[in-house]
Amino acid sequence: MADKPVYEEASIDGQPPKLASIPASDTTVWADASPLLQAACAGLRDGELIHGDNFNLFAAMSALEIMDPKMDSGIVCTYYSIDEAIENGAAPIPISLDSTIDVRCTIDIMDHLLACEAAWHKGHSLAQTVFSCIYLLRLDRTAPHALLHSYCRIIRATCKAVVSVVSDARTHEEEDLFTMTYGLPLNGDGDDKCLSILNAVEETISRQLRACKATSSKRRLPEDLEPLQSNPNLEEGFCKALLCRLRFRKHFFHVLSCMKRPQGRGLESARKHIASCLTELESILKSADFLRSCFDESCEGDIDDKTTASGFEPIGFDAMLNSRLSAPTPPRAIKILSWKKAVEYFVKLLHDLDVICSYSLDPHLESLLRFVVQFQKSQPDLVARSHLQLLLVQDGKLYGRDPFFAVINKAAALPEATKNHDIQKNESFLQLGMLVMNLLKILCTNAAWQRRKLGKFLQDWRVIYVQLELAFRNEYGEVSSSSNDENTCMKIFQHILLWVEEQTYWIAFRFLILGFELELYSTGEYCMVYWYLYAVLIKLTEKTHLMMAVSHDNAKRKGKKKKDSPKDLARESRIPPAVLFLQCYICLAEGLSMMLAALRNEIPVFHSPSPFNTEHEKFVQHFELLQRACIPDHVSYPSYKESTTHARFSTLAMYNYFKDAQRIAKEVKSSFSNDPERLAELRKLEQ
Amino acid sequence: MEQEVGESLIQLGNSDGSNSSSSDPVTRVRKLLFRRMLVGIKDGRFFLGTFHCLDKQGNIILQDTIEYRSTRRSSPCPMEQRCLGLVLIPSSCQNSCHVDCSVEEQLSLLKV
Repeated sequence: MADKPVYEEASIDGQPPKLASIPASDTTVWADASPLLQAACAGLRDGELIHGDNFNLFAAMSALEIMDPKMDSGIVCTYYSIDEAIENGAAPIPISLDSTIDVRCTIDIMDHLLACEAAWHKGHSLAQTVFSCIYLLRLDRTAPHALLHSYCRIIRATCKAVVSVVSDARTHEEEDLFTMTYGLPLNGDGDDKCLSILNAVEETISRQLRACKATSSKRRLPEDLEPLQSNPNLEEGFCKALLCRLRFRKHFFHVLSCMKRPQGRGLESARKHIASCLTELESILKSADFLRSCFDESCEGDIDDKTTASGFEPIGFDAMLNSRLSAPTPPRAIKILSWKKAVEYFVKLLHDLDVICSYSLDPHLESLLRFVVQFQKSQPDLVARSHLQLLLVQDGKLYGRDPFFAVINKAAALPEATKNHDIQKNESFLQLGMLVMNLLKILCTNAAWQRRKLGKFLQDWRVIYVQLELAFRNEYGEVSSSSNDENTCMKIFQHILLWVEEQTYWIAFRFLILGFELELYSTGEYCMVYWYLYAVLIKLTEKTHLMMAVSHDNAKRKGKKKKDSPKDLARESRIPPAVLFLQCYICLAEGLSMMLAALRNEIPVFHSPSPFNTEHEKFVQHFELLQRACIPDHVSYPSYKESTTHARFSTLAMYNYFKDAQRIAKEVKSSFSNDPERLAELRKLEQ
Repeated sequence: MEQEVGESLIQLGNSDGSNSSSSDPVTRVRKLLFRRMLVGIKDGRFFLGTFHCLDKQGNIILQDTIEYRSTRRSSPCPMEQRCLGLVLIPSSCQNSCHVDCSVEEQLSLLKV
């Protein structure tokens, strides 16, 4: 047939040259199927598809739609590739032949990078934020431009440090985009020297600043130094603007390096660098006025939305260029933070890091837990929380220094001597150590993740309690005349069992309280939540009181030799303040619960059943995890119903709840005089 | 010219009904399922994948797709590629569509 050669010609000539570079295979060619497909489309009925047996409409819905900007990360925009962009002048070196404009543009790039970095910290991908900078993507190109080069180097080193902290802490499960660095040039040769390079540049600019100040005061300097840029009126402003930005970078890098040192050895130095960072950030903010006013051209648009201090758009950024590097997952449209918001973010981050650095590494678990809870109240972001977690849990030890069994030993009010007891090698005790470690890690995550994990965690604590109890009963079921060592073991078991119970109720309490912070309860459900809180708190108080009594016993035994002063005796017979504090909470919870129940019972307006779930179902939904872990025992929907159906306004007892709470609060205030956080909480309670 | 050849081939196939049992285009396209297909789109990229689905509007779904793109506007240039999985290529952005087949098959399949 004559068709064969015709076809071959057609297939070679008709195809664009590019197609020829995608080989079909050795024995096959590409044949144009479009006419056939068109004919087939014409022949199909409406809604009819041509598909094979393995076709699944539901699965097909997950196909990436090409040319849809939300799904197609490879859409060709301005440039086909980074190299093409560079060839076309998207990232010129030097940025401008006019040194004044060059300097201003460099500052714009620095500011935009800060905004990108803040956006990245907030949870976007590195590729779309910091590495949308073409200069960063081809860092070696910037070598002739000392200022830009040193700045890019330190940015790269800083990003790498932050990625490693968050990866080590593994809190990035919450924000999965943070550590994605496929194909991004994060590892650079000689980045460890980035500080010295930066110092050199800083030194030069400092001398230029001195020189221009000297000129203005008519003094002569022996050095023959080239000025930073060509306009002498602007020299001082530009030098200052640059210096504070460079210094901020330097100190921030130092903060990260110091905080990384094991066992919290670098915390004090970190604090000094944090203070310097905050000072430099203030200077950076002040420089904005100068930068905006130094050029005649005014920038359009709202200055507050801009990502640079000067308001001009930065040169050399293109987020689409390496969107292909951020994996085939669909690209999310992101908005880079405004420059002002970026600075605010870093100020907050530094304050959060400062709180961490000023922590005294208290070996008492109870105070540590309170510290973490308090810290979380300021809603720290991912980077700060990762740092906290790494400080707390290192090398399987608390602060990298105290083995967890010793920590539990102390928390369970056992004497110092038992912390090295062999019993810690027992499987259950090893697991208990792991549980405490995981608890600390969970408490460092964000509120939503934390609550979810804590709910599931309750089951683990319950199981370990049962295991320990079983082991205890197996070994010491019959209490006979035991040797000294067995006595110690028994005591260890008893203390730890009690402590595990206390911890479990504490976790349950946190779980319920977090529900308030996350606004998970509707107002109609407050009554049952407070009621459950009340039930949990009663148990918690009971266990705490028992623990305190036990530790008091120990103290008493220790101090037997000393003469007991009457004050000591009086103190022992009183209820310890921590327990009273909890009792305050109990009164409040009970009072609120009863008040809400009474409101619901007396005033029909408050009792509006929802068309969706019944109250019983809601009860189960909220407290299922707690019930599964039997926390507390014998607490269920019927008992809730029982206690609340008869609540009435007329019950004066209700007012007594709040009065009791106030009274106890006053008593407790005196004992907590050196604990400002508890005082603040008490004041809130009183209101 | 390619278009004419293609169309004439379809007509040939239609008139020559006795040579094949199924001569309508829909059945013929069904035979192309699971074959490697190369779709070019308007911004210059190419998608190579297994032909999975076609609808009346001409939208194509490919499986195990690889995206090819050139790194420069001008050719010749090296091509970059990456794997995408299941993709839907709307008919509005399609530029070309080729199927991988042997030289002999070229005639029989696309004709028949």
